[in-house]
Amino acid sequence: MGSPPLFYNWSSKIIPWLGLLTLLVLLIGLYWGLFLAPMDYKQGDVYRIIYIHVPSAILGESIFIFMAICGFINVIWRAKISGMLLKAAAPIGMSFTLLVLVTGSVWGKPTWGTWWVWDARLTSTLILFFIYAALIGLHSTIEDKTKADRAVSILSIVGVAIIPVIKKSVDWWQTLHQPSTFTITSSPSMSPDMYIPLLVCLIGFYLFFAYMLTLNLRNVVIERESSKNWVKHVMDQESK
Amino acid sequence: MFGSIFSWLNIILKRDLLIAFRKSSTYITPLVFFLIVVTFFPLALGPQESLLSSLAPGVIWIAALLASLLAVETIFSDDFRDGTLDEFFISLEPSFILVFAKVLIHWLITGLPILFASLIAAIVLYLPFESFIPMLLSLILGTSFMSLLGALGAALSLGRSAILSAIIVLPFSIPTLLMGTSVISSSLTNQDFSGFLMIMGAMLAIGIPLLCLLTVEALLLNYE
Repeated sequence: MGSPPLFYNWSSKIIPWLGLLTLLVLLIGLYWGLFLAPMDYKQGDVYRIIYIHVPSAILGESIFIFMAICGFINVIWRAKISGMLLKAAAPIGMSFTLLVLVTGSVWGKPTWGTWWVWDARLTSTLILFFIYAALIGLHSTIEDKTKADRAVSILSIVGVAIIPVIKKSVDWWQTLHQPSTFTITSSPSMSPDMYIPLLVCLIGFYLFFAYMLTLNLRNVVIERESSKNWVKHVMDQESK
Repeated sequence: MFGSIFSWLNIILKRDLLIAFRKSSTYITPLVFFLIVVTFFPLALGPQESLLSSLAPGVIWIAALLASLLAVETIFSDDFRDGTLDEFFISLEPSFILVFAKVLIHWLITGLPILFASLIAAIVLYLPFESFIPMLLSLILGTSFMSLLGALGAALSLGRSAILSAIIVLPFSIPTLLMGTSVISSSLTNQDFSGFLMIMGAMLAIGIPLLCLLTVEALLLNYE
């Protein structure tokens, strides 16, 4: 992983396999959740959007934690690769957060009767989206990309404070949003035939993140090292 | 050892306050800006007393946030441009103290005038007299936190567009806005507001060491 050409060659080998695995798990999870899982007796088929909504919510938050850890490593040990990882992960996390907000609205319209409520969980997720936007915006304004990585690292450490707020928002405030679907300490409140496909979807989403992150990181590495010989070599080979 | 730190703090505070007071616009501008923003709300929403007094917490807090962000990019930009900041870093005195002093100065020239202006705003927005103390307490804690955040935003956007620092800082200021308005609104309905004040105090207590250190990091980015 340490040297960029090594990472590039190694990732070329695993990308097809990772992509295949992602596709497989996502297809199984989504088919199971959207077609096979039983219908909810109160909400009907509308509830099935949770097979996309909940995994993207978890991803949107965990990607931010991942970014903050990368940022922390980058600020303290000046590890360049962690800065690149941060840069590669940001747009993915922002997309997932947007997906949560959109799927939540789509679900909220038939169930709550409104696209949007100013509820603690919804609002804190919206703030997370703005913070992603601030990080990406800051990165794009700084010419020197190594410095841009560090600046964004610093800001991501501050931003991670929003994650426990989102997580706890359903417990701290009276909200319309239901309590967490996943809890480590107690057994799930859903029946297993609804819960297990959700777990499969979650694993599929994580794999998708790993796949996208590897692709993005390859682009970042190529962009940063574009003046190096090995990049020219690789580009010549690939254009043949 | 502590003596030297305090004398260092003292030197920066004296110098920056002197510079700030020679140019009256530095501390007048946030004050006037705050009052103008507050004036817009009755003009736009209509002068009903019940409406204005229920909206007052939000109006005062939005105006305070915007006004404290107004002077953010000046925290480091002048010293950066004329090389004073370079000298500070070369001097080997603790840079943490330098950032802390800069934050303190920023609060003295924006947060403190806003506190006085908020009293006028509270009167003209028909905020009940009992809510004045909670309002002042929440503004003291909140504007200090905004100065800390502002310093980080200013350090990260040093030498770039001024609006960038505001864009960076605004999403992070939402918790302050929520807590600050909650303090005043709960005092309006005679509820206990000490919990919100404690959270704001905790944010400030974590923010002073953490944000100052990160601001030092961000400033050093410009010297590599």
